Amino acid sequence: MAPTGWSSERGVILSDVTKAFGDEFDSKLVVRDCSFKAEDGCLTVLIGPSGCGKTTLINLIAGYEQPTSGRITCDGKDVLGPTRDRLVLFQETSLFPWMTVIQNVMYGPIVQGRGESAKTHALDLLAKVGLRDFRDKYPNQLSGGMQRRAELARTLINQPRILLMDEPFRGLDAMTRQLMQEYLLRLFEGSGQTILFVTTEIDEAILLADRLVLLSSTPATVRELIPVDLPRPRDMSVFSTRRYVELKSHVLGILYQEALQSFAAGSRAAADLVQAFEMRHKAGAG
Amino acid sequence: MVDFPTRRRGIAGWISYSLRLELLLGVISIGTIGLLWEFARPLGIPVFSNLPPLSEIIQTSTQLLVSDQYWDGWALSVQRITAGFLLAQLIGVPIGLFMAMHRASFETAFPIVEILRPIPPVAWIPISILFWPTRELSVIFIVFLGAFWIVLLNTIGGASNVDPNHRRAALSLGSTPRDMFWRIILPATIPSIVTGMAVGIGIAWEMVVAAEMVAGRTGLGYLLWQSFEVNAIAQCIICMISIGFAGFVSSQIVRLFGSYVAPWQRQR
Repeated sequence: MAPTGWSSERGVILSDVTKAFGDEFDSKLVVRDCSFKAEDGCLTVLIGPSGCGKTTLINLIAGYEQPTSGRITCDGKDVLGPTRDRLVLFQETSLFPWMTVIQNVMYGPIVQGRGESAKTHALDLLAKVGLRDFRDKYPNQLSGGMQRRAELARTLINQPRILLMDEPFRGLDAMTRQLMQEYLLRLFEGSGQTILFVTTEIDEAILLADRLVLLSSTPATVRELIPVDLPRPRDMSVFSTRRYVELKSHVLGILYQEALQSFAAGSRAAADLVQAFEMRHKAGAG
Repeated sequence: MVDFPTRRRGIAGWISYSLRLELLLGVISIGTIGLLWEFARPLGIPVFSNLPPLSEIIQTSTQLLVSDQYWDGWALSVQRITAGFLLAQLIGVPIGLFMAMHRASFETAFPIVEILRPIPPVAWIPISILFWPTRELSVIFIVFLGAFWIVLLNTIGGASNVDPNHRRAALSLGSTPRDMFWRIILPATIPSIVTGMAVGIGIAWEMVVAAEMVAGRTGLGYLLWQSFEVNAIAQCIICMISIGFAGFVSSQIVRLFGSYVAPWQRQR
């Protein structure tokens, strides 16, 4: 059951969402009884072990898939299909390779029938993400970080209710990743944009989040909801604060168990590792 | 590997460039073959002895290259290639796109495709002669077949493999089915279509030569076969070289077209 005490219907709410793939003879449960809320105006981070079903959750919220059971609402209305209220930044870049940067950014407004009036907005956004000089380049002429920023512009021009980001910085080198994180903070702190951010990196998760949703290994369910009370505006210095270390240690503990489960699933040697871990815990360590 | 400077200007730069090792090796290898060919008979070299020497070929070419017969042959072959190839694209691309986007049409048509496609176009020549009212049409049909299967399969492949995230992004951003087709699926398929064209034009030349040899009364392929029948081997060889050259030029044209129509694919 969805916990009580959630302030309003605004934002995205998942209630007991379950998703299974396959037919009646051979189905794989990916998400099970998952309930959480992405609060309006907050940056909510979903974190869990690899392969736990985070991308499926994103696809469900975006409307690309329908839940097997349970309910997903956005501002009180059921999510029935993809709309521009819920836009996704995918793991792999999905800029349209056959369009230039500015054409990509203008795509939403053009198909929505307001192409002409959006041109200035597009140029402003591109300036904001630092790509104004690259507006006539094709995506394959941009670096990884630049492509992500272009995609961000393409999404933001449509002013979505909620921005869904599925491990958007995965695959970037450590330095670019850090810069993109700082960049995201500068862009969105205080903007009021509702964001649901998926990652496997704990540092990234705590740095960015207003609220953390810890997911279990497959099938994904919510292990814990943690408000991140670190003060804003944040930057890299937050990593050395005491509160950060407490939060990280807590999150790490839970995620380690979950990661161990999915690591061990199907592997005998890894199952031994899980057993050893459990025995060590029972013996009173930690 | 010695690194010759290529940016020095002037005579010194030009000489340095010309003396580059690769260029030198290329010239040496071609020159050697040319010499071996020229002196094959006195030297007793196997295959090349049966052919007229290079000097005779060059001499014959000066006569041939000013004859009407030769250039008429060129014009006619090019006409047939153009007709058959363009028809293959105009018919194959829409069918391919339709099949890729509508599962039912794919399931219906694909068995027929898989039965007909393995038949080499050359094997179609007798039926083609019987079926079409003129020889011209029957030759064009063979060219068409050669290019058609390629473009069909490439188009279906390209349109079926549009990145799902592109489709999803386009859907979320508010695309109508019309937008999806014209702005997403079609541009995403263009690289595959161009590949199909590049392969298809080569096959088209193979087909036209074969078809002309058998069914045609004119054209470079027909000229090639005629030369053989009257034992004008030097002429025969010149036709071969001409056809090869024609294929090369056609491929370059297709490549240019591909570059124009898919500018995002250029190496940068």
